[in-house]
Amino acid sequence: MGLLSYLKSTILSKWVMAITGCILVLFICGHAVGNLQILLGSDTYNTYAAFLQGLGEILWIIRIGLFVCLVLHLITSIRLKLLNNSARPTAYQYKSFLKAKLTSRTMIWTGIMIFAFLTYHLLHFTAGVTNPVEYDQHEVVINGKSGIAQEIPNDPRILAQLPPTLQTTTVDGKLYAVQEEVKTAETRHDVYKMVVLGFRNPITSLVYIIGVILLGFHLSHAIQSMFQTAGFNHPKYTPWIIQGSNALAVIVVLCLISIPITILTGLVGGTI
Amino acid sequence: MKITLMVWRQKCCKEQGKIEKFVVDNVEEDMSFLEMFDILNERLILEGKDPIAFDHDCREGICGACSMTINGVPHGHEHGTTTCQLHMRKFKDGDTIYVEPFRNKAFPVIKDLVVDRTAYERIMQAGGFVSVATGNAKDANNLPISKENADLAMDAAACIGCGACASSCPNGSAMLFVSAKVGQFALLPQGQPERKRRVLAMIKQMEKDGFGGCTNMYECEAACPKNVSVRFIAKMNRDYLRASLFTKSK
Repeated sequence: MGLLSYLKSTILSKWVMAITGCILVLFICGHAVGNLQILLGSDTYNTYAAFLQGLGEILWIIRIGLFVCLVLHLITSIRLKLLNNSARPTAYQYKSFLKAKLTSRTMIWTGIMIFAFLTYHLLHFTAGVTNPVEYDQHEVVINGKSGIAQEIPNDPRILAQLPPTLQTTTVDGKLYAVQEEVKTAETRHDVYKMVVLGFRNPITSLVYIIGVILLGFHLSHAIQSMFQTAGFNHPKYTPWIIQGSNALAVIVVLCLISIPITILTGLVGGTI
Repeated sequence: MKITLMVWRQKCCKEQGKIEKFVVDNVEEDMSFLEMFDILNERLILEGKDPIAFDHDCREGICGACSMTINGVPHGHEHGTTTCQLHMRKFKDGDTIYVEPFRNKAFPVIKDLVVDRTAYERIMQAGGFVSVATGNAKDANNLPISKENADLAMDAAACIGCGACASSCPNGSAMLFVSAKVGQFALLPQGQPERKRRVLAMIKQMEKDGFGGCTNMYECEAACPKNVSVRFIAKMNRDYLRASLFTKSK
């Protein structure tokens, strides 16, 4: 319990909320920008995904770091909520709020719903548990280029009819025909296709849109709150921090929901 | 004016309380909220009933004794005003008003609308003072203090310790009160020698008394009859972290 002894102090708990929250916000901004690359097409997006997978140990360090932040954020918030609930055993009969906004009063509830959504999101796109068929998409990359190889059946009669300009290559036990000389041939996870097929389902997309909007509510209070907890409150800058916090929340929401919306409307991945 | 009051009645801290309805006729616009209660209580006494217990003292907005929660807001919706300075002209004829005590675990109800606010006294006793021998009066301007800091310290010192902050806070947090009391000293040279010890001791006492934690909803600032700013909470968060990390004593 040595590490968690900060929980005894509400202010140190708030500091832990702010620091872990800050790291998670930075991640979400990076995640939103990174995944917006889906609008740039399959090759860019899959290259980005392959780059992330190629980080190897660094990727795992980031994942573990984010997981620790998330767990600390969650434990601390629940402990604070229980403490705060116990501070007022008898509720007011007449409830009225002057300044406490709905977003600030519902942080624990939006937080719990976001956590549930995040669990689903990880099972869906990271672990491939909820939709294994859609998850299991691969593409062949020849000479660093995707989409130039065509799979052909390994049948001697068809092979005999192939034009002599076509090269054939075997990747993962499957035969492919290519128009150019094959220097390197490999397969990679077709994340683009996985995401497109995933969001084609309107219910899945709806779940994501709701999850992201809840995230927006959470962030609009969280970001400005972070500054206050960290002791930064200045009459000149705080109004801008509040506006900036709301604006950043809206931008993150728009970036993230643009992905299911463009896919549902066929603007992205319409040819798959 | 005719006002319907829905007032919390509770015989003592152990007993269950409930809302009781009273109709007060002939309320004048120039009466204060407490004067309306005086009239109601005079009538209750004449009728041989138990008058409503409520806290009051100076009735000019500086002592911090009055402590009613009016329509869900400590001291009522009027900005920067104590209950005693709230006038009935702010209400309309025929209004129904809910009046409850300040509700916090740390402020147990003594009777009706009277709560025990010694929790705030205990926080003050933990460190809300400067323990230096004063000696003779110093020469004027012996200790240079900037105008900005003097003004800001005065803004913090405007806190009358009424308990509205903790009672309006959805978390029942006393951070605005403690930050004002810590802040008024942290801004002045006299407060520096005990600065770290003070913030640690006062926060420790605040948590021991069962107040909640701050989640930056700023309801306290809106309900504060002395307009103490949440800037002092931010300042105290900084002070507290520094004191926790760098204090020499255990």
